[in-house]
Amino acid sequence: MWRLGPAWQDEERLAREWRAATPFPHFVVDDFVPADVLPGLLAVVDEEPVSDYRGDIFAFEATAPEPRTATFSGLRDAFADVLVGPLQRITGKEVQRADMRAYAYRAGHHLLPHTDHQQGVGRVLAYAYYLPSPEPPDGGELELFRCATERGEIVATVSARLIEPRSNRLVVFEVGDVSLHQVREVCAGLRISLAGWFYP
Amino acid sequence: MVNLRAEWNATSLPSAVVPSAIGPELATEARARLERADYTRYALLDRGNYDEVKSPREPELIAALAGIAKAVTGRSLEVAEVRALRLLPGDYVLVRHDRVHEGRPVELVLDLSAQSIPDAEVHYRHRGQVFFVFPSTPGALALVERGPTVMSNHTYVSKLHAGASVVRLIILLHERP
Repeated sequence: MWRLGPAWQDEERLAREWRAATPFPHFVVDDFVPADVLPGLLAVVDEEPVSDYRGDIFAFEATAPEPRTATFSGLRDAFADVLVGPLQRITGKEVQRADMRAYAYRAGHHLLPHTDHQQGVGRVLAYAYYLPSPEPPDGGELELFRCATERGEIVATVSARLIEPRSNRLVVFEVGDVSLHQVREVCAGLRISLAGWFYP
Repeated sequence: MVNLRAEWNATSLPSAVVPSAIGPELATEARARLERADYTRYALLDRGNYDEVKSPREPELIAALAGIAKAVTGRSLEVAEVRALRLLPGDYVLVRHDRVHEGRPVELVLDLSAQSIPDAEVHYRHRGQVFFVFPSTPGALALVERGPTVMSNHTYVSKLHAGASVVRLIILLHERP
């Protein structure tokens, strides 16, 4: 179901990118999987039901936190199986499993700045994988912020990096109490992604 | 006012809306005074992104709104805090930027905006669940009883609404000792 593209053959380069990245450790891989894998992935995602989700920091369509179909569950498990080894070597983080939801951001949808870090939940690495869209989005960039803290509280934030939601691109970043990031509002088009976290 | 009193008393989480608490001309004048008072930008992005005037000098307007609140709630109330918020496209105030209120203060939100902005709402939540939505309604006044379990947020103002400006005068009223 998942086959890694050629970028994964040079793990040392990705590890250097991870360590050097600012404002917090992350890396970006384009051509994550060979192009011939994409139609099969899209077919699995198409079968998974989506609902509208709205909260004070988000508005988007997404699949349920736990997969409803066996094929999507299999997609998630195969994703974790193929990436756990490389991610441990690249990031130095001990991870074993991943969760996964599919997201559709249409015009007006957004995810406001937050860190993903929740005490006791165990999120170690966050990821987003962008799928091909019939209407590539205007907006929807992943924005990473540099934070200044005092006594554990964020007291200043500055935009530090914008990552476009380009088709077949994977972004992985560290989850911590200053890994502040957002998905900028989609102003037009459709942004489709698979996203979630890796856990110990 | 009798209907509003009944609306206020109808639930265990009291709230009410006065549809036309201020006319367009008075709202325009109030907005102009707030502009002159000079907004300050708040931008701790994990909490909120908006413009604010702390303690705006609007004695007559505040007194009039407090009078409405006393009539609707039937309680003896006095003004404790006043601030004005302005939200532009891309702005918001998250729940985590709110604070817990002890006792049962009453919060008033007067919509001073020139135009209604779709989906620009104030949400009040009881133990995390939204129980009262104040949509963008120029001239309207919302009254909500706060307390330790009630929090609020101002929803994201979409960049699809270029030129949008949501102006809200927020007044917290405490029980008169």
